Amino acid sequence: MAKKVYERPMIIKQYSGMMNKFGSAPASMPLSEIDGVPVKQLTEEWGSPLFVMSEKKIRENQRRLYRIFKSRYPSVQMAWSYKTNYLNAVCSVFHQEGSWAEVVSEFEYDRARKLGVDGEHIIFNGPNKSVEGLQKAIHENAKIHIDHFDELYQILEITDRMKKPANVAIRVNMDVGIYPKWDRFGFNYENGEAAQALKRIATSENLRLVGLHTHIGTYIMSAEPYRVAASKLVELANMMKREYNTDLEYIDMGGGLPSNNTLKGQYLEAEQILPTYEQYADAITSPLFDLKSSSGKLPTLILENGRALIDDAGFLISTVIGNKRLSDGRRAVIVDAGVNLLFTSFWFKHKIVPAQQNGSFTENSTLYGPLCMNIDCLREEIVLPVMKRGEQLVIKHVGAYSVTQWMQFISLRPKVVMTMEDGSVELIRDSEHLDYITSMEKIPEKLNAFSLQ
Amino acid sequence: MQFIIDSILFSYSQIFFCNRRWFGAVALCSTFVVPEIGLLGLEGLAISNFIALLLKFDKEKIRTGFYGFNGLLFGASAAYFFELTPFLILIVSIFIVITFFLSATLEHFLASTFNLPGLSLPFISALYIYLIFITNYNNIIYKGFNFVEYSFLSEMPVLLSYYLQSISLILFQSSVITGLILITGILFFSRVMFINSLIGFAINYIFVNIIFPNPTNDVLLLASFNSILTSFALGGNLVIISRKSFGLIFVSTLMVIVFTGFFSKLLIDYLLPVLVLPFNVVVLFTIYSLKFRQEHSDLTLLYFQPGSPEENFYYHQNRKTRFDKFKYVFPELPVFGEWKISQGFDGEHTHKDEWRFAWDFVIEDDKGNEFNGTGNAPEDYYCYNTPVVASLDGDVVKVIDNVPENKVGETNLQNNWGNTVIIDHGDGLFSAMSHLKMNSIKVSKGDIVKKGDIIGLCGNNGRSPVPHLHFQFQLTDKLGDKTYKFPISHFLQKSGDRYELRSFSYPSENTIVRNIETHKGLMEAFDFQLGDELEFKCKLNGEEFYEGWEVKVDILNNMYIESDNGARAFLYPREKVFYLTNFVGNKKSALYFFYLQALSVPLGYVDNMFWKDSIPVSIAVKSTFRYMAEVVLIFGQLISSTVEKTFEKKINGNQSFIIASDFVNSGKYFMKWFKQGAKGRLSIDSQGVIQSIEHKSDRINFYASNKSAEV
Repeated sequence: MAKKVYERPMIIKQYSGMMNKFGSAPASMPLSEIDGVPVKQLTEEWGSPLFVMSEKKIRENQRRLYRIFKSRYPSVQMAWSYKTNYLNAVCSVFHQEGSWAEVVSEFEYDRARKLGVDGEHIIFNGPNKSVEGLQKAIHENAKIHIDHFDELYQILEITDRMKKPANVAIRVNMDVGIYPKWDRFGFNYENGEAAQALKRIATSENLRLVGLHTHIGTYIMSAEPYRVAASKLVELANMMKREYNTDLEYIDMGGGLPSNNTLKGQYLEAEQILPTYEQYADAITSPLFDLKSSSGKLPTLILENGRALIDDAGFLISTVIGNKRLSDGRRAVIVDAGVNLLFTSFWFKHKIVPAQQNGSFTENSTLYGPLCMNIDCLREEIVLPVMKRGEQLVIKHVGAYSVTQWMQFISLRPKVVMTMEDGSVELIRDSEHLDYITSMEKIPEKLNAFSLQ
Repeated sequence: MQFIIDSILFSYSQIFFCNRRWFGAVALCSTFVVPEIGLLGLEGLAISNFIALLLKFDKEKIRTGFYGFNGLLFGASAAYFFELTPFLILIVSIFIVITFFLSATLEHFLASTFNLPGLSLPFISALYIYLIFITNYNNIIYKGFNFVEYSFLSEMPVLLSYYLQSISLILFQSSVITGLILITGILFFSRVMFINSLIGFAINYIFVNIIFPNPTNDVLLLASFNSILTSFALGGNLVIISRKSFGLIFVSTLMVIVFTGFFSKLLIDYLLPVLVLPFNVVVLFTIYSLKFRQEHSDLTLLYFQPGSPEENFYYHQNRKTRFDKFKYVFPELPVFGEWKISQGFDGEHTHKDEWRFAWDFVIEDDKGNEFNGTGNAPEDYYCYNTPVVASLDGDVVKVIDNVPENKVGETNLQNNWGNTVIIDHGDGLFSAMSHLKMNSIKVSKGDIVKKGDIIGLCGNNGRSPVPHLHFQFQLTDKLGDKTYKFPISHFLQKSGDRYELRSFSYPSENTIVRNIETHKGLMEAFDFQLGDELEFKCKLNGEEFYEGWEVKVDILNNMYIESDNGARAFLYPREKVFYLTNFVGNKKSALYFFYLQALSVPLGYVDNMFWKDSIPVSIAVKSTFRYMAEVVLIFGQLISSTVEKTFEKKINGNQSFIIASDFVNSGKYFMKWFKQGAKGRLSIDSQGVIQSIEHKSDRINFYASNKSAEV
């Protein structure tokens, strides 16, 4: 008979024979392997904490969303939202799947170019595009989505100087019946700014209006706003067709589709309340068939989804540093991954599960990160089995925004690996080291030396 | 000058159904073996062409010898029968003018009334008038019908001598040497014609002796040169060669013999020679009667600009394999995106008997599942609620939209077809889409729909246990009518991680299919408009040259690109795929290599897409082995020329579309060892400019770049 595993004693209240409407308490199913690779093996080889991206899952997500839209609209093009996760390996998987690049800064633009995406397949969004960035984009035939009038004038000035036409679209914001109203990006539809901008473009010599763009928000929990947004863009497009005989190449409906992460204020789990992607697709595509075009060919539908495609393809493995009991009697578990690595934990209740089979009894705990800062709390309340120092917890659905919004704070950022389709594991970003951080620093000569008593 | 030379040489080669200058030159020389015949022939040709030019007849027809050859024959025959005197030459000249007008009249009459060629009927009519007219004179001496005897040829076998005499008689030459020169020329021009002449001659020789107990030499020769001409015409030049055309030669030779006998008896009272009359009569009524068969799948009459019998054959075969399956309309799949055929023709569930030719469509994911989740609700199925579109333009003639949705697993046998829309596409073709979601149908009876317009959403009702689309073509507007086998014009079929372009084909069960989505750049590149001009900087095996193209249209509305060296490539642009049908002219030109690379081009790009095509062997293969294979062409095609084309994958930042071609010419049966290969690339930038054309094989290294792209 094998020796029984020791588990520290604890006290739980017994509910005998009581039923409630939520069923029994959630027993957390451990996640002991990712794409067939044991979590234990991953941390042994690459250290902890560790970000893991799944190639298979990314491709699956991308193909699924594309399939859903493509079976509802004749011409669909995806553009990978760089800011969601711009690790080269990740972007490359999307580009291999046929996605263009959607960038929001000159830095991201350069990243995409360096990775080999040609200008023509880059959508340049964002409120802050540098003059140099714009020049590059115009020169390389990128599609520039104009955010405000000052930018429009800037582009006019550059194209006049360069004697080269620019391919442009405008970003439109509008009331789609949701709160908060995202009216800070692009030209407003209701107050007529959008139509005004379009007319300015149509009458200029050096601007080619190729599309219309909107992005109604993020983590939109209902499909209907998209229907409204698409209808309003169709209105604008048809107005341009009527008045200027402009045939648009595309309608860009942005992103904003939710992933299966649950928001902090949400009572029910995301899966239970969110519409299906099919419902979103129905809402987005059905108004587009009212578009008028002279050739009879409908403009391409461009989608800039990020979160929906990558969130559940990312995992953060962390290791338990220690346990303690708080003043009010609550349990606290400290792990080696904190909010510096998981910015999204400020608004998401991530799914966090142990990487090994622990005991069947669970306890309400608070999950802290390793930082010596009060804010470093991953979860105020989470039901966990008894965890021992050295055991692993896997934080699921962290593919979006984590590795772009993470901070180098107090400690160094860890490795990122990708589990490949063939079962192998590849390092896609190495961990930082001291010299990497300090190499950018300069120390005034005066401060070079000190002596300590 | 070139025009005059062409008009002379082509007049000579016309007589042998040939379109080569060199052959015309050979024939021209051969007539001068007996100089006075050659001279008068040339005079006849010259006068005819001069009149035609003066009276402004179609220049192209003059160039190709259309008017010249009857005059030529007349001149030659006039010299053949009589001693030449200056007076006679004057008379002959007048008659050449008569011949010209007769040929212009008869050609037009036969062409417009019976759609038949004039052959040498004008010539023979003029000759009869001439011969009867000449009896007014007593001083014109009839020369008779004698072959020049050569002592050094006395050892020649009699049969060979007969054969050569028959050949030379075609040009009214009385020398076997002419025959020898001509038949050598024919052998180089066309193996098929050479073999046909032997066959015609042999059959004739055997049967003349059976039909006429004691044939004179004259009858034998007369019948045999008519037979040879007939076998040229019916064995490959006017009828496309096949095994059956061999039989046609046999039968028509027998008819020629009989008609020779008939005309000999008929005309003897008028002292007129029979000459080519049997050939004209037999060929014309044979061809004419062949036009009225119910099916034209064999013994096909020439329906295009004639070349050698080999070229005719290859062109016809190529056209048949490539375009025979094409229909007058181009239906597409009635859906967006990628779908699986869950039940095809003769399916095991419901596509049986009268309903054999129908398709069921569903959507599958990478793992082969049709649904997400449990699959217990229709909404779990990927295809549920997706748009169903019109496959072709048409009028909506029936709409049923009130059959309630089924639960998964249940079927409604009362309303078998469920919610259905039937569209009338004209010309008796209808299409029906069934199991559409209740209340989702967006069209009503009487609406006019265009290809790709949304009809409704995919649903689950009627005899439908799981959501799917049932699609069929039929011949009436009746609900549940029997199916009609009609193809989908162009679609992509998934095979592994590649997509194959299928044309006018039938998606089969368990395959994954999608429509072609056109790409702006490709559309632009292959949108050739009348008057478009292109110029290329070319390099062929180290030799550099420039070549210009212009897009033109001919009298039959065929669009073609013409190179400044005279070569032509004929265009057949369709909505989703661009085709080049034929190439004629100089093969050392950029246009030739463009023809090979752009033989067919789908106007949409998908990674790993490939398609197959074939090229007329005479255009693709240049080899003595091909000539060998053509000796037995009558029994079948031994050499084929195919190509597999792919879009090269666009790797990081490569903006151009590159169509890579892999050409294979290979032999069959005892020519199995024959194999030639070549590779080609056609590069088009994303703006739709043809950038470069490349072709490489053992013997050819060609590269051309667009001059406008250089700047």
